[in-house]
Amino acid sequence: MSNAVAKPKDWVPKGDLQKEISAEKMLLELPRELLFITGSEAAREAIKRANIDCAISYPITPQSETMQQAGYLYDEGYIKEYYRAEEEIGVMSATAGASRAGVRALTATSGPGLMRGMEAISSWPGARVTPVLLDMCRVINTPLAIQPDNIEISFLLNTGMIMLHAENQQDFFDYTLAACEVTEHVDVTLPAMVSVDGFFVTHARGPVSIPSDEYKLNRRDGWRSAVPAMDNENPPARISRDAPIQKSNFISYHMHASWQQEVFAALERSGKYFEKLLKGRIEIINPEAEDFIICSGSAVSQAREAVRQEGENGRVVGLVKVKTLRPFPTTSIVNALKNAKRILIPEFNQAGWMHKEVCSVLYGKCKANIVDGPRVFGGMTMPTEMVIEWLAKARKDFP
Amino acid sequence: MSLDTIKPSPGFLEHLPIEYQDLVNHGQYGKKMKASDMGKFKELIEEHPMCAGCAMTLFIRLVFIGLPNPEHSVIVGTAGCGRLAISQGNVPFIYGNYGDTNSTASGLKRGLELRFPNQKKDVIAMCGDGGLVDIGFQGLMHSWFRNEKFATIMLDNEVYGNTGGQESGMTLKGKVLKMAPRGKVDEKMDVMGLAKVAGVDYIARIAPTNPGRVLRTVRRAILVAREIGSSYIQAYTSCNIEYSIPTPDVMKDAFDIEKERYGFEEIVSDRAKKFLDEVEKKKK
Amino acid sequence: MAVKRYNVRMAGIGGQGVVTASHIISNGVVISGGYSSLVPFFGSEKRNAPVESYVRISNEEIYEIGEIIFPNVLMIFHPSVITLGKSYTMPFYTGLKQGGIILINSKTPLKFSRDEQRELDEKEAKLWYLPATEIANEVAKTDLATNMAMCGAISAIFGLPDLESLAASVKDRFVGKGIVTSGGTAALDSAIEKKFAKKQKLLEANHNTLKATYQYALDQGWANEGAGSKKESAAV
Ligand SMILES: Cc1ncc(C[n+]2csc(CCOP(=O)(O)OP(=O)(O)O)c2C)c(N)n1
Ligand code: SF4
Repeated sequence: MSNAVAKPKDWVPKGDLQKEISAEKMLLELPRELLFITGSEAAREAIKRANIDCAISYPITPQSETMQQAGYLYDEGYIKEYYRAEEEIGVMSATAGASRAGVRALTATSGPGLMRGMEAISSWPGARVTPVLLDMCRVINTPLAIQPDNIEISFLLNTGMIMLHAENQQDFFDYTLAACEVTEHVDVTLPAMVSVDGFFVTHARGPVSIPSDEYKLNRRDGWRSAVPAMDNENPPARISRDAPIQKSNFISYHMHASWQQEVFAALERSGKYFEKLLKGRIEIINPEAEDFIICSGSAVSQAREAVRQEGENGRVVGLVKVKTLRPFPTTSIVNALKNAKRILIPEFNQAGWMHKEVCSVLYGKCKANIVDGPRVFGGMTMPTEMVIEWLAKARKDFP
Repeated sequence: MSLDTIKPSPGFLEHLPIEYQDLVNHGQYGKKMKASDMGKFKELIEEHPMCAGCAMTLFIRLVFIGLPNPEHSVIVGTAGCGRLAISQGNVPFIYGNYGDTNSTASGLKRGLELRFPNQKKDVIAMCGDGGLVDIGFQGLMHSWFRNEKFATIMLDNEVYGNTGGQESGMTLKGKVLKMAPRGKVDEKMDVMGLAKVAGVDYIARIAPTNPGRVLRTVRRAILVAREIGSSYIQAYTSCNIEYSIPTPDVMKDAFDIEKERYGFEEIVSDRAKKFLDEVEKKKK
Repeated sequence: MAVKRYNVRMAGIGGQGVVTASHIISNGVVISGGYSSLVPFFGSEKRNAPVESYVRISNEEIYEIGEIIFPNVLMIFHPSVITLGKSYTMPFYTGLKQGGIILINSKTPLKFSRDEQRELDEKEAKLWYLPATEIANEVAKTDLATNMAMCGAISAIFGLPDLESLAASVKDRFVGKGIVTSGGTAALDSAIEKKFAKKQKLLEANHNTLKATYQYALDQGWANEGAGSKKESAAV
């Protein structure tokens, strides 16, 4: 703790000295430098380059370190507006409020905070606001715990928002920047959530290569949007998102239905941008394999090591990493797995939401035996040994 | 926005709906209307689906006329009867989730200040008593403690009207309503007192008995919010349905309640007073 | 080149700088050109509560994340992790790979229960005792350097990170702004700093401690064992 000091009169916000560029340039063209940093620090580096107008924070483990850092970035002048709000419903409402004003808004939370803010968050896509929400997954069930477990992701799968699942610190940096731009394309105009498994990524250090902080993304242009900003700069027109459509008649049903259809169509349209910025919405290793692992987030790291160790023992195992949970890369997944014989779906949650997603996509399109696991939950990690054991069992069960 | 923004290109006006033409030719933009002008100009809000004779509607209509700068105003509302009318006004209206008005308005106002450094935008959070002090309590209080620069208007009908007549925190002790089968146990919440404790710069309690006074109060609250800090109006807007007030007696009820316990009161901070004095001096 | 994997689980007591030690080792490996990742135990940080931290070290890119469930090296920063059960992992050697190393900060060998001794024997665990606190007190004149003492020995055992990189990592930690510390760790830092008044002195004391235990480990003949050149068992 120390006492606040006012900025000197000639203070120049550091953000003013950064050059604006596109996400394509930032992520695909600029030279990069390799750092060894935590996931929270990777988030800070992304936020520093994301040209955020307004960041609104509320503490929760394991997220706090990220929005704390955002506070320091605000102090240095990389972010224009920042405050600690009352709690998460307040945070999510205010973040949407700022986004409605036409500025780029960002916040971050974890498990219970996400659940608390859920009502507000699930209203974002229909409101066609474009905030970016960083989500550091944490147990939400009782008994209370702060450990990583990504069940919370499943609660948002059907909201219409863009959902990315980062595997590691590097992804967290790249995906955050990609999200900040893609959300604002006129044919998208949707919010995005970038999830990572808490602690495993946020508090652990790993290699992250990043471009120079002399650059930041192009600013949000509040005039370019699928729906007008709430700035009273347009002639009065009723926008259906803000009219109470609740009369029981077919006009209102139809209005609501078509509004939703458009939200989900916009979500699909975002896919092409991520395809480019993330170099594909899935990553495939050993495409010719008969045994495949498909997963997202931290589970990919464990699967990668399992694939490597199996390789050291002369067994070819394939891996599909899913980067965008929404829009779900259905076609690419079907193509990657259509000749697989056995499929394993490791997950860091009890419900197995990825298993359900994959099963529904592959139904009728693939003859593989799909194994319902392995899974860990409640905070523990998944040892590579466990993935290898399950692979062995699958080979035995489905010769 | 300004009158220029809503003015269509030459030749198009006659093809627009008559309501729109009236808005352009006889609207409120750029002018300051008096209560006695009612009926002589195109109001920002006219049609609405609220109950016939509802006092809340009258009050909302007056708020729109009182807006000091409707062409640069945004209203934030929430679930509740009032939003049925507010959403029909010719001022952008944000309809968020129940109870989120003051959190949403905080983000919105700060965002608008970033985007329009040279044009003040008035943000007004206006909603029912339940939305504001029951479900919206912490958003409300914290926006005040943060001294957010927007006006908050409570449409206090002392009941959850929209969901069919349950007690709210603003219901008087002893009133039997839905979910209060033996009468409300606790006192009506002292939100004026809370506003004072939180340091709100302009606080007013009012009943819609004197239209001129409503317009003046709304203007003062919005001007203070624009230049000084948070402001709050608590308006008695009876629910004739749930309180079984015969429609012809709605105004009589308002006068009675005003006399009994809802008299006009202003609590103005020193800095807000100084500011308002200057504004009013300049006008003379 | 075959992939080498050293998976280290560190256990100690809040206030001993266990997490700091893991940062220093891990960062040192990276400075020396190797690969490393680390995961601190995710609990609330309280003085005197058990603490765990996990470091992976390799000559190739590391994929795995999360705490290490099957380590091949355990570093026990305080005897009470074992004697008083101040540990999140009970018994403390749970998951240790066959032939794994247990480096314990204790002047004298500890006594184990019959069951524990049997299981340790079955695992062919190598129990190595390092008087880390004593060396810290002697060289740096403070037991706050115990974590440095543990780091020095590890450097000798693995050969990774080398002593120079380790020293560079310590410097990074206290001079650079590279590492984000949480509230508790930051408070600990200032306690240490007060003790030394000057950062330079602090660095010197730390370096000397590193060197002392590095030499101690060499003298004990631990180096080759750990590097896995004789025994494959240390690498997975
Ligand atoms: C999260 C949530 N809880 C409850 C509701 C249901 N609800 C809608 S309006 C309302 C009551 C409105 O009362 P008040 O805010 O006093 O406004 P009034 O209708 O009386 O003007 C309630 C409980 C809701 N829409 N959302
Ligand atoms: S229910 Fe009451 S408050 Fe609501 S519109 Fe009807 S009369 Fe007005």
